[in-house]
Amino acid sequence: MSGFGGVLPWARRTLVERDKILTSEEFSAILGICQIVPGPNIMNLAVCIGSRFGGARGALAATLGLCLGPISIVLCLALLYEHYSYLESVKGLLRGISAVGVGLIASTGFKMMRDEFRYPAMFLVVALTIIAATVFHLGLGYVVLLIAPIAIFLARKKAQAL
Amino acid sequence: MSILLSLFLKLSAFSLIAFGGVNALLPVLFDLAVNQEHWIDVQTFSDYFAIAQAAPGPNFMTVTLIGWHIYGVLGALLATFAVSWPSSIMIFFLQRFIMRMKNPLSKKTIQYSAAALAIGLVLSSAFEIALQINHSMAAYVLTIGTIAITLLTRWHPLYLIAIGGALGVLGFI
Repeated sequence: MSGFGGVLPWARRTLVERDKILTSEEFSAILGICQIVPGPNIMNLAVCIGSRFGGARGALAATLGLCLGPISIVLCLALLYEHYSYLESVKGLLRGISAVGVGLIASTGFKMMRDEFRYPAMFLVVALTIIAATVFHLGLGYVVLLIAPIAIFLARKKAQAL
Repeated sequence: MSILLSLFLKLSAFSLIAFGGVNALLPVLFDLAVNQEHWIDVQTFSDYFAIAQAAPGPNFMTVTLIGWHIYGVLGALLATFAVSWPSSIMIFFLQRFIMRMKNPLSKKTIQYSAAALAIGLVLSSAFEIALQINHSMAAYVLTIGTIAITLLTRWHPLYLIAIGGALGVLGFI
C-alpha cells in the first residue's frame, strides 16, 4: 500500500531489514529468478515468497494482499478522473506526471544496464533488442525469439568470464 | 461478454512475453488498446498511465485502469488477473527448479541473458511511449531531466512525480 514509485524497495526493507523473514542473499536470489520470468516482477516476487511460507495458498494470499489495496485506490482515482478530467489544471497535472513516469521507466532500464559494463559484449544484445523493437517494429514475441539465442550465447561467455 | 473474453485472452498472451515486467509491454498495450481494439483513445491512455504512476502499489495499474474503462470494476479485476496469472503459475513451478539448479554457470547464463533482454525491452518501451504521450518540447525536457536526476541522485521518485505534476498544473508542460 505504501509502495509509491514501485513496491520493490519497500518489500526489501520490510522482509529483510525489519521482519528478518529472508536474508539479503535469499532476497537477491529470489528477485533474480523473478526477473527471468516474464510478467509483473513484483507479482512474481509475491508468488515466490508466499509459496515458500504457505505453498499455493501462501502464494495466493501474498498476491491478493499485494493487489487489493492498490487496486481500490487506483479505481477511486479513476472515478475522480472521470469527474474532473475536463479541468485544464487536471490535464496539465497528468501531462506532467506522465512525462516524469516515462523518465522513471527509462531510468530503471539504465540502472539495470550498470551490470553490463562488467562484460560489454552484452551491450550488443541490448542494442539489437532496441533496434528490433523500435526500428523494425517487430512484435514483442518475435523480438524475444530472435534475440534469445544471441543473448544466451553471450550470457554463457559472460558467466564463464566472470 | 465477448469484449471481456478478448480482454482476458489478449492480456494473458502478452503477459507471457513481457520480459522486464509490464513496463516493457506498454507500447504493445498501447497498440492493442488504442490502435487495434479501440478500447480507449491516445489521451485516455496517457492519462491512465499518469494515474497509475502516481498511485501507490505495483506499477502495472495502467492495465487495471484500461479494464475498468471497458467494463467497470469487473473489467479492472479481470485485466489485472489476466496479466498476472500466466507468469505467476510459471514461476510457482520454476522457482524450485531454478533454486536447485546445481550448475552455477547455467544459472548465471539464464540470469544474464534475461537481464539483457529486459533492459533492451524496457528502454525501447520508454522510447516508444515517450513518442506517444509527450506532446511538447517541455515534456521531453522533463523526461530527460527525470532520467538524469534518478541516475545521479538518490531522490525518491515521488518527489519527481510531485514536481512534474506541479509543473503541469502551472501550464509548463
